[in-house]
Amino acid sequence: MAPFPESDAEYFKDKARRGLLDLLEGVRGKKNLVINQGLAGPVGLFVKFSQLQEHGVDRVFLLENGNVDSSQRNVVFLAYAEKIRQVRAVAEQIQQLQRNSSIEHEFSIFWVPRRTLVSNNILESAGIIGDVNVAELPLYFFPLEQDVLSLELEDSFADLYLHKDPECIFHAAKALMDLQQRHGYFPRIVGKGDHARRLADLLLRMRKELDAEESSGLVGLSYRNLLPSAGIESLIVVDRYVDFATPLLTQLTYEGLIDELVGIKHNQADVDTSVVGPAATPQAQESSKASQQFKQGQKRKIQLDASDQLFNQLRDANFAIVGDILNKVARRLETDYESRHTAKTTSELREFVNKLPMYQLEHQSLRVHTNLAEEIMRNTRSDIFRKVLEVQQNNAAGADPTYQHSLIEELIARDVPLKAVLRLLCLESCMSGGLRSRDLENFKRQVVQAYGHQHLLTFSALEKMELLQPRSSTPAMLIPGTGAQAGSRTNYSYLRKNLHLVVEDVSEKDPNDVAYVYSGFAPLSIRLVQCVLQKSYVLSLMRGGPTVQANTASPGWLGFEDVVKSARGSTFSIVQKGDDKAVRARQTLSGSNAAKAVVVFFLGGITFTEIAALRFIAGQEAPRRKIVICTTGLINGDRMMDAAVAKGTFAATDS
Amino acid sequence: MAPTNPLANWERLATSFYRKVPVYYSVFDEDVELENYIVAGAPYGGAIALYRDESKPLRFRDAQTSRSNIDIYSRSGKLINRLNWEYGAIRGLGWSDQEELLVITDDGTVRRYFGLYGDFTSFSLGNGAEEYGVRACRFWNSGFVALLSNNQLIAVSNYNEPRPRLLAQCPEGEVASWSLIPPAYTLSRSVEVLLAVDKTIYLVDPTEAEDKVLQNGPFKHASVSPTGRFIALITAEGKVWVVSSDFQSKYSEYDPESRVTPRAVEWCGDDAVVIAWEDEVHLIGPNGAAARYYYDGTVHVLPEFDGVGLITNDAYEFLHKVSDVTESIFRLGSTSPASVLLDSINLLDKKSPKADDNIQRIKPALPEAVDSCVKAAGMEFDAYWQKRLLKAASFGKSVLDLYNSDEFVEMTEKLRVLQAVRDFQIGLALSYEQYMRLTPEKLIERLVNRREYLLAIRISEYLQLPADKIYVHWASQKVKVSTVDDEAVCKLIVQRLDGKPGISFEVIAQAAYDEGRSHLATQLLNHEPRAGKQVPLLLNMEEDEIALDKAIQSGDTDLVNYVLLQLKAKLPLASFFRMINTRPMASALVETTARAEDTELLKDLFYQDDRPLDGSNVLLSEALKETDMPRKQEKLQLASRLLSDSKEPTVVLHQKLLNESSQLLKVQEALDKDLTERSEFLGLSLNETIYRLVRSGYGKRAQKIQSEFKMPEKTYWWLRLRALVAKRDWGELEELGKPRNSPIGWEPFYNEILGAGNTKLASIFIPKCTNLSAEERIEMWVKCGMIVKAGEEALKAKAVNTLEALQSKASGPSAIEIGRMINQLRPKK
Repeated sequence: MAPFPESDAEYFKDKARRGLLDLLEGVRGKKNLVINQGLAGPVGLFVKFSQLQEHGVDRVFLLENGNVDSSQRNVVFLAYAEKIRQVRAVAEQIQQLQRNSSIEHEFSIFWVPRRTLVSNNILESAGIIGDVNVAELPLYFFPLEQDVLSLELEDSFADLYLHKDPECIFHAAKALMDLQQRHGYFPRIVGKGDHARRLADLLLRMRKELDAEESSGLVGLSYRNLLPSAGIESLIVVDRYVDFATPLLTQLTYEGLIDELVGIKHNQADVDTSVVGPAATPQAQESSKASQQFKQGQKRKIQLDASDQLFNQLRDANFAIVGDILNKVARRLETDYESRHTAKTTSELREFVNKLPMYQLEHQSLRVHTNLAEEIMRNTRSDIFRKVLEVQQNNAAGADPTYQHSLIEELIARDVPLKAVLRLLCLESCMSGGLRSRDLENFKRQVVQAYGHQHLLTFSALEKMELLQPRSSTPAMLIPGTGAQAGSRTNYSYLRKNLHLVVEDVSEKDPNDVAYVYSGFAPLSIRLVQCVLQKSYVLSLMRGGPTVQANTASPGWLGFEDVVKSARGSTFSIVQKGDDKAVRARQTLSGSNAAKAVVVFFLGGITFTEIAALRFIAGQEAPRRKIVICTTGLINGDRMMDAAVAKGTFAATDS
Repeated sequence: MAPTNPLANWERLATSFYRKVPVYYSVFDEDVELENYIVAGAPYGGAIALYRDESKPLRFRDAQTSRSNIDIYSRSGKLINRLNWEYGAIRGLGWSDQEELLVITDDGTVRRYFGLYGDFTSFSLGNGAEEYGVRACRFWNSGFVALLSNNQLIAVSNYNEPRPRLLAQCPEGEVASWSLIPPAYTLSRSVEVLLAVDKTIYLVDPTEAEDKVLQNGPFKHASVSPTGRFIALITAEGKVWVVSSDFQSKYSEYDPESRVTPRAVEWCGDDAVVIAWEDEVHLIGPNGAAARYYYDGTVHVLPEFDGVGLITNDAYEFLHKVSDVTESIFRLGSTSPASVLLDSINLLDKKSPKADDNIQRIKPALPEAVDSCVKAAGMEFDAYWQKRLLKAASFGKSVLDLYNSDEFVEMTEKLRVLQAVRDFQIGLALSYEQYMRLTPEKLIERLVNRREYLLAIRISEYLQLPADKIYVHWASQKVKVSTVDDEAVCKLIVQRLDGKPGISFEVIAQAAYDEGRSHLATQLLNHEPRAGKQVPLLLNMEEDEIALDKAIQSGDTDLVNYVLLQLKAKLPLASFFRMINTRPMASALVETTARAEDTELLKDLFYQDDRPLDGSNVLLSEALKETDMPRKQEKLQLASRLLSDSKEPTVVLHQKLLNESSQLLKVQEALDKDLTERSEFLGLSLNETIYRLVRSGYGKRAQKIQSEFKMPEKTYWWLRLRALVAKRDWGELEELGKPRNSPIGWEPFYNEILGAGNTKLASIFIPKCTNLSAEERIEMWVKCGMIVKAGEEALKAKAVNTLEALQSKASGPSAIEIGRMINQLRPKK
């Protein structure tokens, strides 16, 4: 019987950990580990530093710092082989060590996720391919949570939409093949967007190639004769560019707001100690860090994942009700704690004492989150935050964007962070199909004057990403593929109406629609997923009537083809067939009452709000379906802007 | 033919039995003088390589024989292939697990022959091998160690990516003998070498050479047992010692009573040692027990992990330990249940009722008896006894109510395969244990190497294994040898392989290309389902454009990058650009790569592609990186000039802003010179520049720059407001608030000044906010702490309720004042 998708997270975690540690074991003796920055965080998700030490790692260096020393004979590099830059950096550092070091080093490179031809080529031309041991470490999915698998590709958004480098699509396809090999083929692949289409095509092609390879005995027996999965219902691929607007809005869930204001990377947030206080000392594993982090202005790493029960409760809630929840928990904790007075018998007392560590843990987490929430509150109450939100909400609701312009101009003059301004401009462009060119020019001039002329580059990049465009331009002709006419741009004004994106009366406390995550605006991306999974609900929204029971069983986009056409990119629904007899045989064997999983893949990144919304849907579908969320990485508006914003300034950099 | 006695050739050695099974007869012709040859046998009963020992005198015959060859025979003596050898003195001849022949010459060149028919790759040992010369080599299943004449040791542990590595420096002195412990059996997980120098033995690994401090050397032979646990040594006096591999304990000693040093010392399994002279073989068991065999001619010993092969001109024999099951069945006087079961078959044949008595007698142990018979059948080489034992097992299991027959069925399958390949025509003398370890897939590979396609296909069908590799190999051979035209060959191959899953046409195409039939290769490649596989070959064939297209099709960016890398190095820039600019993915990848490492290429690309804006942006980024101011300006100018031809409004604006930026830099330079010593203004944005000027009290200059750059009034006012608040210049702010109107209204003034804590000044602006509602203004007054003023506002708006609310907030005189206002409103009511 195929394992259940719930354990995917554990499975991938375990596999990654075993893979890395086995490779480290293979290098005899103590070693220094040089790791690429983009990998250091994700690797921390599945392996602890103490475990690395147990496997002979002495010190860890970052590849980008280029400061590895010759304190150990063995030097191990861990980097992405797909990134030519990193490969070159590795080659240079090896050469440098060979030149400068008196001892003869033993070099190993573990390429993630595979050894590439280009990396071979570069090592060869550097003349060191004979001196290094090369191994592969096939890391694809990093489990962030039980239901969230991320590739943690930091640059995927920029690569995909700015540089048009499809590497991460290939990467994603490989990762999904991993998933398929574990569970069987996705019986149906549904998707929206041209990149999504590419991903699906790659999956089909890889399956064909795998079939070819299987029978030639190149791969192990486990891959043979894969059938359509019994445990997975379908794969839904959403291309980020179908819905650029959603991440441009400020996320209004608790986790989303932490991400907006502090930033969450690999389940961790670096929060100023002045906000949350220094790390608690009694925690043994953190004590070493705490001593360093006592000073003011220092950052403290806060682990944000399901292991923190309180956070788990808060994360997906709209921020408006976070205060209430915190209060409630505080009160409960208080009464629990007070129960010691009521304890009469010794056994009751012992029970209390046994629970004490748990209380303390909870207490600590309560303190951290109260402080965080207060800090966020301070921000959300500020004049600027409110004005930004006002512009966003008006845009989302479809009000005439030109009324917002003076407000945006004011924000520019008041020197709010550039990314916030750009987000507003991009939001308007996405929502209303571009800015009038006079307005755009005007804003360009103002932004450049306010933030520096280097941002001419920023605007070029945004234009290339089709995030910020003049209204008249027609990039439709440049986009290959089907439906260039209708699908070259997402038509929000049509979809807003037809998919009921704006929900005025959504309750934040007791949400009845995914729109709660943006306090009244339902992310288009999520509505599209609902078009596949919750047809009757979406239909009832469209018609304004009660829930219609018809059509629930119809697969793919059926029933929504016309609506979906108004969103950008190609639309597809592919059935992957297997040997009919085997499928039927298995169906009779296993029955079909088990909950089926739906894999939702966000190509180009997903926001915390969207994750929250998907979890909300999963909650509604609970007994029948589970949702596994996969993505290339987590994203928010600021990170989208990061891809475009020019880094340099005109300041003479004399030091 | 009468069945052979199953006990024939058994020898008792201490507590266990050994047997020598003749496998093939009349192996070599008379004229192959085995004594003059070096013989190496591939593991798992594979091919044997014969090479004339050059130290032996040569009887002159004719030119044919005097030319040196490496002859490859099967174990049954069938000549498979003859390799002409003209590359110098051979110092090492050995096989890998994959049945690849390795030949190492004097100068450290290693040739790896795969497929038995002369295809080879070669590499050099380096590390001084050329200078000092190789003396000898020792092999293990996936690597070898070469000993140089200066006692240096070089290890190669992987043939696919050979990386010769020097082991630790060894002591000086004559090496009397040496041997290696394969990496799988060492603690260090790296190959270790035993080197007998002078009276002692050194253990050499990559890091150090450890002296084992022995006294009885020089040791003339050292041999390590298959599991690496024991070592057999021949001492200076000619005695055989068996010691543990850490040299801590000695297990047995044996005196062969011969003054001649044996030619070979090999292990027969893990319990016995075989020492061999020209025509005599001693088998030495634990505690010095021994059996001796004598031969008429020269005998060569070919070690296996479960025994040894003994080859003479007359016969090939396999000497191995008799397995426990076999012993329990055939041993004289055995009463084991399996033995009884076998006996009942004879009785059954004679139709004797005793057969049933026997069965009843052993009934409780019958399942084990059946198992034993099945196992023992596997151990037999003789078909008669195989059948006999299986028949016994079958009889036994028919009596049992419940018995899982899987093993029985599998054994029959295995035996069929074994019998087929042991046939003298094929000559793979595989024992059951060896077959288990070799695996059926590898066995098929070996058959394919021998071009026994039919048998290979039959076996793979029989065992339900993929047969595609066999077909591919066949097709590759076909391509090589057929002389008909390309179309016909292609058609033949495609026809024959049609509908077979998993065929790798790429391999066949490569074979065709290697034969120089590139047209055929291209044709064959079209049938390859995996795009990625086609690319490297297409590149080799100079089919650049197709290669690029296929790479793009595969979606594998690495592959595309790889092709691009090759093409860029190969083609002139112009044609390279031509090739990529019709392929968006390719040009995107070139752009990405170039952006990081080769901006000149990027500029060329944008120029060729007629993308002036992109080109200009490259220059702009360069200008940003430039530290020297004149060069910065120069780059900016260049960037601007690139755009001068365009009429498109966005581009025009872009150019204008570029010029503005260079103008701003000039202004800032001047400011720095005039106002500060340090560079303070340079690099700021326009807004920041003005902000800083106002803040430092240079209002006039700020004004001038504002008009020069046509900054909107609104922005300018905001900047002034913020800068003055930051400066806490209340006087100037009041001055600024004098006019009746402000482009940004007066509310910001109130907010900013209030935020800075000056309630008094803030309150001045409240009455000016005429666009706001009364309630808002009331709120503003309250925030400034001026309740009375708020009250007045409320009075004007006639809001009694508000006033009452205010009254509750107020205290002292202001409360009274408010009360008065309320009263003022009330009477009118």
